[in-house]
Amino acid sequence: MIRRIREYAALPGGFGIICGISMFLTITILGFARPLFIPYAPDELVGDGLAGPSWQHPFGLDQLGRDMLSRTLAAVPADIGVAFLGVSIPLFIGTLIGILLAFAKNKVFLSLVGSIIDGINAFPLLIIAIAMVTFLGPGLFNVVIILALMNWARYARIARTRAQIVLRENYVEAARLMGYPRRRIIFKHVTPNVSSETLAYALSDFILVIVIISGLSFLGLGARPPAAEWGSMIADGRVFLGEAWWITVFPGLALCWSAVSISLIVEGLSRRDRAS
Amino acid sequence: MSNVLAKIQDIRIDVRVTRRLRLRIVDTASLTIQKGQLLGLIGESGSGKTMLCRALVGTLNRRGAYVHSGSIDFEGIDLVKASKKDWRNIRGHKIGYIPQSALAGPNPVMRIGAQLAEAITQGGRKSKEEVRRRSIELLELVQIRRPEVVLKQYPYELSGGMKQRVMIACAIAQNPKLIVADEPTTGLDVTVQAEIMELLRNIRKEFDTSIILVSHDLQLINSVCDDIVVMHAGATIEKVPSSKVTAALHPYTHALYDSRIDLVEPRGKLRTIKGQPPSVGKWPTGCRFADRCDFVKDVCRSTDPTPFVQVNDSQWSACIRHKEIYGGAK
Amino acid sequence: MSSHLIEAKKLSVTFNSYGFIVPAVKEVDFYLDKTEVVGVVGESGSGKSTFARVLAGLQTPTSGEVTFKGENIFKGNEAYPGELRKAVQMVFQDPYSSLNPRMRIINAVTEAVMHHQNASRKDAMEIAHNLLQRMGISATDARKYPSALSGGQRQRASVARALSAQPEVLLADEPTSAIDQSAQSQLLELFAELIATGLSVVLVSHDLGVIRYLCDRVYVMESGIFVESGITRDIFHNPKNPYTQKLIASIPK
Repeated sequence: MIRRIREYAALPGGFGIICGISMFLTITILGFARPLFIPYAPDELVGDGLAGPSWQHPFGLDQLGRDMLSRTLAAVPADIGVAFLGVSIPLFIGTLIGILLAFAKNKVFLSLVGSIIDGINAFPLLIIAIAMVTFLGPGLFNVVIILALMNWARYARIARTRAQIVLRENYVEAARLMGYPRRRIIFKHVTPNVSSETLAYALSDFILVIVIISGLSFLGLGARPPAAEWGSMIADGRVFLGEAWWITVFPGLALCWSAVSISLIVEGLSRRDRAS
Repeated sequence: MSNVLAKIQDIRIDVRVTRRLRLRIVDTASLTIQKGQLLGLIGESGSGKTMLCRALVGTLNRRGAYVHSGSIDFEGIDLVKASKKDWRNIRGHKIGYIPQSALAGPNPVMRIGAQLAEAITQGGRKSKEEVRRRSIELLELVQIRRPEVVLKQYPYELSGGMKQRVMIACAIAQNPKLIVADEPTTGLDVTVQAEIMELLRNIRKEFDTSIILVSHDLQLINSVCDDIVVMHAGATIEKVPSSKVTAALHPYTHALYDSRIDLVEPRGKLRTIKGQPPSVGKWPTGCRFADRCDFVKDVCRSTDPTPFVQVNDSQWSACIRHKEIYGGAK
Repeated sequence: MSSHLIEAKKLSVTFNSYGFIVPAVKEVDFYLDKTEVVGVVGESGSGKSTFARVLAGLQTPTSGEVTFKGENIFKGNEAYPGELRKAVQMVFQDPYSSLNPRMRIINAVTEAVMHHQNASRKDAMEIAHNLLQRMGISATDARKYPSALSGGQRQRASVARALSAQPEVLLADEPTSAIDQSAQSQLLELFAELIATGLSVVLVSHDLGVIRYLCDRVYVMESGIFVESGITRDIFHNPKNPYTQKLIASIPK
């Protein structure tokens, strides 16, 4: 096992990929396994407000006296979990729509869906999300819905372009000459070659989505108190930045940690891609 | 002999894959080119022929490759150790380069005239009138009709063969002593290929330029060049005058020559080389052709590297058993 | 009723490129008989690849018709409908895009065998292995992805896939032009063997050597029309058309 990891690390970009994956796994496992080793619940008042880091509470306490370490880790399911949903749902929908568009021949349908995609992509995702929250109301669940409704368009555009190229490749033409049923061509020959591209985008999109979730929460549009979430914790701690830096710094570091871990993976993968 | 223009000796080229991982892509390659010689360099993909060319024109480092050991002597300068400043006086001025037609070509957003002017003025200052006169002269030299018109055109307005003529014009703009042409006609039509070959031969005759012509097509090389150097798995393994190719002294050269389809009756039995060429990084020890060779013996696999030695006044071979197989030098 | 296996009559293909009508193939007549090997030779842009794609049913002609055993191959919006589909298979020029990069060689061939020969997965795998073996691809190489194989090996794997449909006609569009010399002769030898078993072949190439080696008859194409056609030996020894003469004169001696 260790030898295989070493061999992998020696490949181009392998070191970054392994670092990124282990950083990501560390924070995810710690986050989900939090109840097993931290005796304090994230919303339990355990001491005086604004108490600094100590052996008992390494990340200190927030303004209400809640354990910051517990809260920072408790936010993992909210941030990484929601981001996972917010990326995988659009990834799935967008890839499928993009591939269908590449196959479609009906001009009215094509231009209709095409303009919807372009329309959505014309706005930055964060702006759309803020606008939509005012309709649906704040809350993490609504954030997932908004991402599912809006983020697919980016994936659909990538998938359509890629699928159009793949459809012209000889191996797809050969599959058509073989007389394979259309469904088989779509799922066995086209989709794997399109999804490799959209998956790569999903990885870098993950970072963006985490930032959007915590950004919305920072503005009070995402997670609702008393739920633990990095963005809202940073917003809470902002007022006390001078006297209690730990309330903002630790959630911020956790946010950075997750973003950096994924960008290490993305960077490693693209380096490996370039080398071959 | 003072007739030698360039001499590559025992060169090894490595490429950096990662910080620690290095891959040998050329190893034990040697060749000599005489003044005014048309030398054919032939090899399959992955044989290292393109890298050897890059070493000659000093563009190895762009792909993360570098010369590990060995030397390239060009008129008394060791090109391996040449500085960036030295290269500025060599590249284009003394060594011209014609790129692979399919991959590179004239810069698509520059007029032909501008690109020629760049090649002509390289390093020196020249008046507009001078540049123009020289440009037209060069285009006429490469047999482009109506050069005044072509000067104002963009590459997309020209056919593949025309573009390659322009590249040749750029390469000879400074009257270089050596031209390296890396698969100049791959992907071009046969009729165009024949014209380009004719052109290269004329240039050689007129200016006494030495030309290294790289190709994977033995038939082409054999019909155009004076001497043939064969590369296989990163090493030069044979040097033979094209008139004596049937008396080659390496089994690989013979195998390549014998697999030509114009030698047999239609649908007759071809003498193919079995198996696959060894891929880069997976070269066997000893003779790298051993696995595909009909004459292989244990000694072939245990002698590493197989020395590339001069057998008679015109032939070199890297086959250690050439005397046994081909009855010594003729 | 014609007795030819494939016949094209007054076949034209034009492309619409940004409002310009570009003719690629102009009213050509062509036929292929059973167990015959016919070459189409021409230079880039002559329309020979477009012509091959029409024969394969990948490109619909603008006018004219193509018949297979007397039946029009374009019926409705499908070419070679139903059972006819497997009868004509194609090998492409570019070995790098002929095989699905996300599929192991053996799986690509097994898939084709299962589809056409009604075999169970296990039997199909065995047939595929045998077929690949015949093409000179070892079981170890068969389990690899296309990216791990050389151009010549990929080309032979494509031939294996095409043959698994048990076609009557094999169309080959410049099968040797993108691979190394030793791989070329291996592939040509393979073609010669297949032809000996009675396969009909249409070979599209710019390489006259390949045409001379494999073809019974040859069509010479220039700017969308056949300028000369006939028995290969006659064309090579006594070319009548100036363009054919120029082509033959350009072969390196």
